[in-house]
Amino acid sequence: MAKTFRVDIVTPEAVIWSGDAEMVSARTTEGDIGILADHEPTMAALATGAVHITHADGTISAGIHGGFLQIFRNTVTLLTDRAEIVEGDLDEARRLAAELRQAAEGESD
Amino acid sequence: MASAELRQIRRRIRSVESTMKITRAMELIATARIGKARQRVVESKPYIAKMNDVIRNIAAASGSLSHPLFEAREVETVGVVVVTSDRGLAGGYNGSVIRLAEHALVEHRAAGRAIRLYVVGKKALTYFRYRKYQIEHSWLGVTDTPTYADGRGIANILLNEYMDGNVDVMEVYTTRYVSALTQTPERWPLLPIEPPEGSGDDTGPVGYTFEPSPEEILDRLLPRYLEGTTFGILLEASASEHAARRRAMKAATENAEELTRILTREANQARQAEITTEISEIVGGAEALARG
Repeated sequence: MAKTFRVDIVTPEAVIWSGDAEMVSARTTEGDIGILADHEPTMAALATGAVHITHADGTISAGIHGGFLQIFRNTVTLLTDRAEIVEGDLDEARRLAAELRQAAEGESD
Repeated sequence: MASAELRQIRRRIRSVESTMKITRAMELIATARIGKARQRVVESKPYIAKMNDVIRNIAAASGSLSHPLFEAREVETVGVVVVTSDRGLAGGYNGSVIRLAEHALVEHRAAGRAIRLYVVGKKALTYFRYRKYQIEHSWLGVTDTPTYADGRGIANILLNEYMDGNVDVMEVYTTRYVSALTQTPERWPLLPIEPPEGSGDDTGPVGYTFEPSPEEILDRLLPRYLEGTTFGILLEASASEHAARRRAMKAATENAEELTRILTREANQARQAEITTEISEIVGGAEALARG
């Protein structure tokens, strides 16, 4: 079994996901990032997009509307103002992220 | 036949009882909502706490924090934000925070600082408008159940005012939820942002990789931080409002109960007095007949 690390997805409304993961992939403003255990300390700005978490019992995807990512001592924290969890399906998360983006654009009009 | 006095007392009992029904219902509603509101306050805390962590870590990694939003300017104009509820019947909730804010307004004026006033909630709007204060911006309908979008909307406008130089400092007067029994009105400095206390993670400076640069991350982070803080302020104000309303309505219900008890006693006395009068009239009449 791969070494795991802690992941928290935190929004202003609540901590929406929290658990141990084997791998996380996310989209930052600079490009996609893949995270395994013992990643070096990193701070990044997240772009609106899908986050994919592989954990012992399967995978979880989330559509995330911007925010920040912090990796420190095997703890990954994703701070975002909006996120929605989808069990398993990355495409579904991508679709959700696109929806979130549209909603955000609609709001700013 | 019931006397005029007895009838009047009975009418008052009925009126007090119907008021009591209303206050009791409001008490129950407030009780139900307070739990939800408190939970939202608790759930919103990790976000701000983590943001504080990130800012501290950036400070630790880059040696110092420099950003326009951290820098205190010379204060010529003060932005004052007052957070109240839209509805009354919440005891001293609105009164105390308005009093605190107005006190500050008077002080700022005395110190020769100009003021720009922003209000959240109908109560503050009515109060300050009636007293001919100029109100730059008002938000209604947000304090009952604040959403993050409400927090963001308010934060963005306040941030623009600050960035445009319309105000040099922004302070919020709001109510902090301490416990179910205690909610204290207080001044909350919003801008410039006070860097969170304490150093970064306990190991001291760590070699963070930043993507993009720390400055750019701060640039993106601080407006979000402000939104989160504003949202937190609204949530606490909302929990305080419900707690204050519950307490006020509980007191009102208890008063009504007490009043009903007193009035019932009075009604009984009046009824008894009436019966006594009737009996003595009958007895007196009978005696008069027997003597005749």
